[in-house]
Amino acid sequence: MSTPAPTNFAFSSDEQGRLVFIAADGVRHEKVRPVRLFPLTEPQHWIAIQDEEGRELAIIEDLHALDEAQQVALQKALAKRDFVPVIHSIDGITRAADGHDWHVTTDRGPTVFRVENDENIQSLGGTRMVIIDHGNTRYLIPNVTTLDVKSRQRLERYY
Amino acid sequence: MARSLPSESLETLLNDVEVRLSTGERIIARLQTDLDASLHFHQGLIVLTDRRLLHVEAAKDDHRRFHEWALASIDELVLEEMGATIAIHLMQTGVPSYAWRGTSGCTREADVFLGRFKEQQRCLLPVPSPDEAKPTAEDEEDVFDQDEPVATRPTGSPLIRLFQFSRPWYALMALGFVLTLASTGATMIGPWITMGLVDDVLIPLQSATERVHVKYVYRFAVQLAGAALLTWALNWAKTFVIARVAERVTSRMRRETFEHLQRLSLTYFNKKRTGDLISRIGSDTDHISLFISVNFIEFVCDVLQFIFLACVLYSINPLLSLAALGPVPIIGFLVGRVRSHLRGGFAAASRAWSQMNSVLSDTIPGVRVVKAFAQEDREVERFRLADQHIFDTNNRVNKTWSFFTPLIELLTEGGLLLVWAVGAWSVAHDRITVGVLVGFVSFIARFYGRVESMSKFFASAQRAAASAHRVFEVLDVKTDVPVSVNAQKVGRLRGEIEFRDIKFRYGSRQIIKGISLKIAPGEMIGLVGPSGAGKTTLVNLACRFFDVSEGSLLVDGIDLKQIDVVDYRRNLGLVLQEPYLFYGTIMENIAYGKPHATRAEIIAAAKAARAHDFIMRLADAYDSMVGERGQQLSGGERQRISIARALLIDPAILILDEATSSVDTETEREIQAALDHLVKGRTTIAIAHRLGTLRKANRLVVVEDGQIAEMGSHDELLKRSGTYARLHQAMMEVTHA
Repeated sequence: MSTPAPTNFAFSSDEQGRLVFIAADGVRHEKVRPVRLFPLTEPQHWIAIQDEEGRELAIIEDLHALDEAQQVALQKALAKRDFVPVIHSIDGITRAADGHDWHVTTDRGPTVFRVENDENIQSLGGTRMVIIDHGNTRYLIPNVTTLDVKSRQRLERYY
Repeated sequence: MARSLPSESLETLLNDVEVRLSTGERIIARLQTDLDASLHFHQGLIVLTDRRLLHVEAAKDDHRRFHEWALASIDELVLEEMGATIAIHLMQTGVPSYAWRGTSGCTREADVFLGRFKEQQRCLLPVPSPDEAKPTAEDEEDVFDQDEPVATRPTGSPLIRLFQFSRPWYALMALGFVLTLASTGATMIGPWITMGLVDDVLIPLQSATERVHVKYVYRFAVQLAGAALLTWALNWAKTFVIARVAERVTSRMRRETFEHLQRLSLTYFNKKRTGDLISRIGSDTDHISLFISVNFIEFVCDVLQFIFLACVLYSINPLLSLAALGPVPIIGFLVGRVRSHLRGGFAAASRAWSQMNSVLSDTIPGVRVVKAFAQEDREVERFRLADQHIFDTNNRVNKTWSFFTPLIELLTEGGLLLVWAVGAWSVAHDRITVGVLVGFVSFIARFYGRVESMSKFFASAQRAAASAHRVFEVLDVKTDVPVSVNAQKVGRLRGEIEFRDIKFRYGSRQIIKGISLKIAPGEMIGLVGPSGAGKTTLVNLACRFFDVSEGSLLVDGIDLKQIDVVDYRRNLGLVLQEPYLFYGTIMENIAYGKPHATRAEIIAAAKAARAHDFIMRLADAYDSMVGERGQQLSGGERQRISIARALLIDPAILILDEATSSVDTETEREIQAALDHLVKGRTTIAIAHRLGTLRKANRLVVVEDGQIAEMGSHDELLKRSGTYARLHQAMMEVTHA
C-alpha cells in the first residue's frame, strides 16, 4: 500500500461547505467524509477519505504534507465530525446509582458524564487513557502524568 | 517408568544377568518389565548384549526364570499396545515365539529398547558400519535417564527456600530486623517506668506518709509519653520496611512464576488446569506475602520479647518468674501436637482453593454453553461443591484451632493465678513491695501475650509453607522442549521442511507412526484426513511445540532441535481455527508478532488480509479495543485480524490449522482471498476439512492413523479412488444435500 502523493488529488468544498474530493484520475466525488484510522493514538496522521457509501477513496498519511488550502478544507471537515473531548482536569468522581459520575473540565468546557463500569476506562499504551461514557462518547486523557495532582489522585482512587 | 523396581531387586536381577555373561560380552541396553504373562505384577529384566538377548524374571522362591536367545536367531521384536498394557513379541522364523508384558508406563523405555535392538541387529549384518557397532556407555545410560520428562529438582524446606529466594533484599530485611529489635525494646520502657511510678509516687501518695514532689509526677508523665512516641515511630518504620520486603519478595515470586510459565511447553499447559495455575500465582503468593509482612516479623518480635521479658522477670524476682514460667513447657508440648494437624490442613485448603478457581475459569468462559443448555443450576451446584470443599477444609483447621487457642489462654490465666498467689505470699512476708508485684504483673501480661501469639505463629508458618511449596512446584518444572545449549542462530529461512521418518508419542498413545515428507521452499501442502489422524500433531511438531520422539525434523537441512527456538518461530506464521485476540486495540493485535511495525505496515497487512474495510467501520477504527473485554467481532473478522497478524511478520513458513472451518461460506471466500495473499511465496502447511480451501495446494497429503495414506494433486488422488476420493465424495454430498 502506498499513500498517493499529495499532488495527485485535491480537496475543495461545495456551496454547503461539504468536502469534495477530486481523485487522481480527475473524478469528482461529492459528500466525501474523512475518517481517522487512529482517532485516539495518532489523530493528526492517517486519514481515510470515504465516499457516501463508505468506500475508501484514498488514505492520507500526513495532513501537513497537503498545501495550506486543502489542509484547511480537510481540517474543517474533520472538525465537523470530531468529538473526542480531551480531559484537562478531573473535578470529582461521585458514585451514582449505576456507575460513577465524572465531573471534568475538557477542552470543550466543563461537563459531567456517567461511566457504567471499569471496562469503559481503557488505557491505551502507557499513559494515554480513554473513558467511554454510557452514551458511547469517548473522552481522552492524552497523558495521565501531566494531569494536575488533585485530578490524578481522584483518578487513582477510582482506577 | 510407572512402576519402578525397588533398586535392590533391579540390582539382583542385573547381577544375575552379569554372572551369566561370557567374557567380552557387553550390555547394550536393558528394559524392565513389570508384568508376567498372566498380567500379574512381576518384575523382569530384558538385557540386550552385543550377542544375545537375555531375560530374567524375579521369582517368589530363589529359583529365577532365565531365558536367552542368540541375536542371530531373532527376526525382530514387535511392540504391541494393548490398552493399559503393552506386549513385546519375540519373532523367530516368522512366528511369535515369546512375549513380554508390561504396563503402558514402560512404553517409552520399550520403544527406546527396541530401537537399540534394531541398531544392534543392523550391526550384525554382513557389512557393519564401524561407528554404529560401538554404542558407548553413555548410550546405555540414556535408556534409564528418560523416565521422567517433567522431573522436579530436589526441594528443601519451602520456608528455607523462601528465605533464599529473598536474597536480593537481605539488607532491607536486616534493617527491618534492627527496627524490630529497637521497637521491641521501646515497648519495654513503659512498664519499667510504671514500676517507679507506683513505688515513688502512688504508694507514698496513698499512704500519705510523705509529700511527693509534683515534679516527679511530671517527670513520669513525660517519660511515659516519650516512650509511647518512640514506640510509635519505630513501629511505623518497622511495619513500612517489612511490608516493603514482603511485597518485593512476592512480586518477584509472581513475576518469576509467570515468566517460567511462559517458557514451559504446550504439553504442560495441556495437563494443567488454568484455575490451579491462577490460584498458585494469585492467592498462594498472597499467603506468603502476609506471612512475611505480618506473621514472620511478629514471630521474631515475639521471640525477642519473650527472651527479654523472661530476663526482666527474672531480674525483678526469680521466684515469681519461676511461677510465671510454669505453663510454658505445657504450651510448647501442645504446639508440637497441633502443628502436625495443621500441616495437612492448609495444603488441603490451598488445593480446595485451586479447585474453586478451576470451576470459575471453566464456567465463565463457557457461559454461552451453560446458558444454551440451561445448565445454570448444575454449575451453581458444581460451584457449591467446590465452595463446600473449601469450607470443609477450613473448618477442619478451625476445629483444631478453636480448641487450641482458648486452651493456651486458659493455661496463661492459670499462670497468672500462680503469680498472684506467690506474689501475695511474698508481699505478706515483706519479700517484695506492692510496686514490684504490680510491675511484675504488667510484665507478665505482656509475657503471656507473646507466648500466645508465638503459639499462633506455627499455624501461619504451616500455611505459608504449603503455599510456598505450591509456587516452587511450578518454578521447578523443567521445560520439556529442552533448549539446545549451542542452539544455532538462524536468520531468515528458505522454508524447506523435511519430516524424516518421524514418530511421536503422547503419553502412552503413539500418534505419529512414521511419516516422511519433504516440502520444498514455497510449496503449499494440504493435510487432509479424518479427525484424530495426527494432522494437528504434525503441525505442532513443525512449530516445535513438541519434540519428535523418533526420527528427525529438518528445516533448511538443519535439525530443528539444533535451531534456536525463538529464531525459528520468527520465521513462522500461525493461523488457527479459533483466532485468539488479546485484550488491546486492533493495531496492537495485528502488531503482536512485530511490536515495532510502522502504522503503514500495519495498514498494509490489514488491507492484504481484507480486514481494513471492517476495521474502518468500527467507532475507533484501528484504535478499537478487542479481546475479552473489548468490542465484539465476528469469527470471520477475528480470523482476518489474525491473518493480518501472520502477514505482518512475513513468515517463511506458514501454518494454517483449519483457518476457515469456523466461518460461513461467504466469509470463507473473504478469508480465502486473504489467505491467497498470505501463502504466496511461503512454505505452507494447511490443514482443512473443507477441501476447497486447499485448491492452491501443490500437493495434498492424506494422513490416516498417524501415517501417510496417499499423496498427490487433487486430480491424481481422485483418480486413485482411495481415502481422498471418499472424503471428497462425502463432502460433495453434504454440500449438495
